[in-house]
Amino acid sequence: MDLHTFLITIHLIGVALGVGGATFGGILYLKALKDSKIDPMEGEWLSVIFTTLRVGLVIVVLSGFGFFIEYRMTGQEEHLLDPRLWAKLTIILILVSNALLIQMRKMPMWLGEGLSITSWYGALALGIMRDADYSYWTFLIFYAVVVFVMIGILSIIKRLYLGKWII
Amino acid sequence: MTQTLSILLSVHIIIGIIGTIASYATLLWLFKRKIPIRLLKISSITAFAAYIIAWITGGYYYVVYYGSNVKPIIKDGPNPWAHSIIMETKEHIFLFLPLLAFVILLVVWLKGDNLQENRSLRNALALVILITLMISVSMALGGIVISGSAR
Repeated sequence: MDLHTFLITIHLIGVALGVGGATFGGILYLKALKDSKIDPMEGEWLSVIFTTLRVGLVIVVLSGFGFFIEYRMTGQEEHLLDPRLWAKLTIILILVSNALLIQMRKMPMWLGEGLSITSWYGALALGIMRDADYSYWTFLIFYAVVVFVMIGILSIIKRLYLGKWII
Repeated sequence: MTQTLSILLSVHIIIGIIGTIASYATLLWLFKRKIPIRLLKISSITAFAAYIIAWITGGYYYVVYYGSNVKPIIKDGPNPWAHSIIMETKEHIFLFLPLLAFVILLVVWLKGDNLQENRSLRNALALVILITLMISVSMALGGIVISGSAR
């Protein structure tokens, strides 16, 4: 296995943990809200999921910088100024800031949840769309629009599942 | 670039990112309901050691290779500001990191047991860690721009 394949494998494992963690964290949080309280068992599961999510984030960041080294050492420096990479880096920064603000209880859950899920799926989409040739701001505007669409979708899901509007 | 310099540059990048992650973890754990002092001690010492190693490896790479081989390429390339602004800033601002990390380390190791009750101490420490983290992230992003401009 060459270095590039190894890095892609590790990076995908990190993304899988992150996307899976964000998705199941959202589902479990919704189920926990059904009886309007998070009991100790649910709290324990959420804690395990958030830990998995953070492990995924660390793997993504470390393997991402592994690509940085690979590009630098193999004369592919032009990839380092690619708007797609910078959009991805911005989304990762939003993701880590969001996690921090949630931990500090400074982020409302409706926004934090929407940002977390959209950011993880957004990072996944940017990784897949290798031929997407847009500017940095186009990527970010699209991301911002999707965040608000996701917040709307999550509100409707909560309304349908819980029978009341929750923000 | 010799193999030794390639290894040093790789160590500089990876260990720098480990330092950033350790600073982030310190800040995150500081806001847990029950502050895990043992983990804070591990993350703060990891961040301090990582910034010191990143400083030495980056400094050696700069003196031995970057100044004479990479800098002229960047200055003649499409983004000369990557050196004149970003690298010049990085060189000086980076020096704050080991010192700030050492302050964080001292507070956590010497006053860690007071953090749970003393909210003003916790918030002051959080501010110092946040500044460290912001500098550290800026250094990492600056490094990507500088390397991306070396073509």
